[in-house]
Amino acid sequence: MCHMRAQSVRVFVCMVILVHVFSVPWVLAEDSVEALKKQLLEMQQNMNKLMTRIDQLEKKKADTNRVTRVEESVKSIQKSPSILNPSIGLAIDATFDHRDKTGGTFSLRAAELGIAAEIDPYARAYAFVTGSDEGVELEEAAMITTSLPYNLTGQGGKFFAAFGRLAQFHQHELPFVNFPISLERMVGGESVAIGTQWSYLFPTPFFMSFTAGGYNKIGEENERVDDAENRSMSRFTYLSRLHSFFDFTETLNLELGATLSYTPRVDFADAVGKGDRSLSGIDLTLRHRPLVPGFYEGTTIAGEMFSNSERFADVGRQISVGGYGYAQVEFNPEILGRWDLGLLLDSAPDIENPARKTTSLSPYITWWPSEFNRLRLQYTYGWDDVREDSGNEGNQIYLQWTTVLGSHTHGFRDRK
Amino acid sequence: MKDLMQQKLRLTIIGSALAALVFASPALADRIRVITTIPDLADITRQIGKDRVSVESLTLGVRNIHSVQMKPSMVTKLNQADVLVLMGLYLEESFLPGLLDVARNPRISPRGIGYIDTSNGVVPIDVPVSLSRRDGDIHPMGNPHYNLDPMMGKLIAKNIARGLSKAYIEQRPFFMTNLEAYTRELDRLIPEWQQTARPLNGVKFVSYHQGLGYFARRFGMNQFGTMEVRPGIAPTPAHLVQLVRRMKEEKIPLVTYGTFPSRVPERVARETGARLVPVPLYVGGRPGIDTYIELINYLVSNLAKAAGQNE
Repeated sequence: MCHMRAQSVRVFVCMVILVHVFSVPWVLAEDSVEALKKQLLEMQQNMNKLMTRIDQLEKKKADTNRVTRVEESVKSIQKSPSILNPSIGLAIDATFDHRDKTGGTFSLRAAELGIAAEIDPYARAYAFVTGSDEGVELEEAAMITTSLPYNLTGQGGKFFAAFGRLAQFHQHELPFVNFPISLERMVGGESVAIGTQWSYLFPTPFFMSFTAGGYNKIGEENERVDDAENRSMSRFTYLSRLHSFFDFTETLNLELGATLSYTPRVDFADAVGKGDRSLSGIDLTLRHRPLVPGFYEGTTIAGEMFSNSERFADVGRQISVGGYGYAQVEFNPEILGRWDLGLLLDSAPDIENPARKTTSLSPYITWWPSEFNRLRLQYTYGWDDVREDSGNEGNQIYLQWTTVLGSHTHGFRDRK
Repeated sequence: MKDLMQQKLRLTIIGSALAALVFASPALADRIRVITTIPDLADITRQIGKDRVSVESLTLGVRNIHSVQMKPSMVTKLNQADVLVLMGLYLEESFLPGLLDVARNPRISPRGIGYIDTSNGVVPIDVPVSLSRRDGDIHPMGNPHYNLDPMMGKLIAKNIARGLSKAYIEQRPFFMTNLEAYTRELDRLIPEWQQTARPLNGVKFVSYHQGLGYFARRFGMNQFGTMEVRPGIAPTPAHLVQLVRRMKEEKIPLVTYGTFPSRVPERVARETGARLVPVPLYVGGRPGIDTYIELINYLVSNLAKAAGQNE
């Protein structure tokens, strides 16, 4: 009995051992598979992390390369001997014109080299040297303060005096081909002056400035006063100008100005004796610019009226009134650039005989293939009683091509 | 008697409310007057400066920044500003230098303490290899439209906070606290935008101007071409014909346009079968986009929706 029990136990134990021996591989196999699966998953996760890290490092390397390139570029600019050179630009203005009475000609009206730079923390300076088929001349060279207190700015040298609006434009910046004859006769074209002028900006919510200046004379074409000779204080020309601007809405604004220039004594060039001269002007510019750009890009309606009171040797005191007005619409058909379409009306008296006038009407069209390249076609019909230039009478046609190279800008003064 | 008492009570309540308004927030005259060049910078400056700043943008979000006209009213604003915030990288070159020349405010000149250029730290893309106008009206320092990358939005905010802190050192803790809060908000939103923008990954698009470069880089889009011949050079018929042909060959799915006229983009989209998507480049560029976050939200969701509809 005992023997049988012991044998049964032995058999039972053997069977248990056998079961365990043969079941372990199954368990082991399942465990291995699970472990392998787990290991595979971990390896996959690690690989994903490594790939992400590689991406990050590659990106960082690319950024570093870019930073290095930009830094190298900056360093090479800083090492360059030209680092302190002024900014330089060139405007080229060429025309063809044909007039009924005088025929036609091609002209290089201006190759205008402009340079500008900061002098120091207190002032900046600029100069324009202009070459044309008539020669080379220094058109402007002036210094302007940059740090005066009380909203003041001072300017000295040769520059365009602050008379009116278009007289302060360089000819190639005009909205049309030529200066209106009224502006040429009464102001003297570009308001070139050698002297000094000072400007104050009012601390008001709207723009208002007052400018005062003293000069040898004003006007490129003003030959009644000699720019070069010494003179007493009464022979200088004095100017005052009030200038303001109003935003009616985001799209409509008005710019207004009133200018008075006075020369207490003008010695007659071809006679004994003296006169005096008072030239005044009002200018108005109304601009509309739509909020969202489209085919229609804006309208400008502008004009100036001048009054000249001057005592001449032969005809005594003459008071002449004249001026111009123009309207211009801008289009952008989105192909091949921008277009301006405009109409200029001009009434220019003879300042020595105001009863005689030159009146003209000029439609024009301007094409801007780019901001730096411009072509213009203008037709003018003139009615001329003054007869100082026979070309002012009848049909006139003008073609103009103007380009700008480099950093050529007249800044705030010549804005459209 | 009762009516009189009620009236006195009403007046007292109204007076107290008014007094609370007056004394609780800084008087307008005490606020830092900030002028920014674009509305995005104005919004981010308000997030940093809160009620201690009075902010105005020189331009509206619908305007083309490359043809902003200088107005004398801008001179007055700059003259009276304490701080100027600008994008830099020559973005404002067509108007800002001319205005600063006559603004008579040395404080906000490029050397002044109130001059904040938010491009500090930006590594620009599309840096030109040569500087020639043959390549159009190029930006010599690279693509300046970095505001459309929300990561750059964080950098802009940091530069504004640092700039304000430098000019008003006693208020530094206030600006830095607001910077942290705004940065946290952007950090929360950026992964959400990246998730929403997943359909944009690898999507090619054509735009009128190269304004979306930074956005495209951030969200995986690829700029196939532009309708402009070169930056600032209007499309020509020949260029458009070639572009349309290439777009059809490559099956380009998206055409975008921002602050530029829309007739050419509409025509290109029609001829190629691509989806036309308006993409404002600045805050205020479309109605309802009044903040920088709303701008990025709009761009991500609209472009992702358009890309998703093309699949």
